[in-house]
Amino acid sequence: MRIQNAHRVSEAIQTLSAGTTLDTLVDRLYDLTDGTLALDRATLHRIARGKTQVARAIDSPEECIRLYFALMILGCERELSVTSIVDEGHAVLASFVGEPLASLIFRDLAATLPKLTDRYTLREYLEEGLRVWLPE
Amino acid sequence: MATRVISGRPRAESHTLRAEEERLRAQLERRLNVRTRFAPLADVRALLVSPDQADRAKSLVVSSSTSVAERIYLYVHVAAHIALGHHLPLVTIVEGVPGVTRFSDASRHREAEELARAIWWGQSDRGGLLGTPAFVRRSTMLRRLLASESARPALRSLLIGMRHVYYDLRVERALAGSRLAGWLRDALCLTAVVCVAPQLSD
Repeated sequence: MRIQNAHRVSEAIQTLSAGTTLDTLVDRLYDLTDGTLALDRATLHRIARGKTQVARAIDSPEECIRLYFALMILGCERELSVTSIVDEGHAVLASFVGEPLASLIFRDLAATLPKLTDRYTLREYLEEGLRVWLPE
Repeated sequence: MATRVISGRPRAESHTLRAEEERLRAQLERRLNVRTRFAPLADVRALLVSPDQADRAKSLVVSSSTSVAERIYLYVHVAAHIALGHHLPLVTIVEGVPGVTRFSDASRHREAEELARAIWWGQSDRGGLLGTPAFVRRSTMLRRLLASESARPALRSLLIGMRHVYYDLRVERALAGSRLAGWLRDALCLTAVVCVAPQLSD
């Protein structure tokens, strides 16, 4: 995977993690994804700091979507506003999977996300989404 | 689109209604691979989240504040959405709180409502396993009464009254397995569900 806009992703991760240290952030991402995230700690640190555009370990859209869900759950845990969580999540996904695929995915997400105006409900959706997108 | 569900639940949920809800929930899992769980959702009644592979379980999260009758309606409605192929990965089917009309996919909900009605009356569900209880399915009288907005609450009160008489007469042991008791139980269940979801009526 080549991150389209490393700076924007870093900004989004910083917003969604709301002051959490990088190590805590990465630990939580591993927890949320049940250890299925194929990125090592150092690469995740570099992505969060906007220092790399290359994350070769995650190549499939499924893995990108899992990371996207996990980051948005993190935003819910940090009690950010729903709008901010959704905006930052969109930015992350667009940078991860590229504009053509992101547009397709966003078209689908656009049918769901505006309906979830309560943070608790959004989090239920994201957790459920992550669960059904985890490998069996 | 907001789903039309009338709140105002009875003080206690009947055992028949609870048993019917459990049966439908089990059918949903067995036949459509939908796992249900309950959570205190604030602004919606239910969410259906679908995986990217058809053979994996779909997940239905239902608001824990819903009554048993509302849950029965939601299961039938969700089954209709699935039958219509609305359950795409990432597109989550969200059943809204009554009166809130912020959802954009109104036509899909309308289609699902129509199919849900057919499933409920045993017209689109082979074996009628997700539909209304068997005893009362073919009762045109009940169906006609439930279709009338004014007759519906009166019918419910009448059936509840009949249930009181049934218990007051202390004949429940003698009549427990009878057709009359079965019909009364099923009619109460059917009426309770249609009272909270009148769109299931004709």
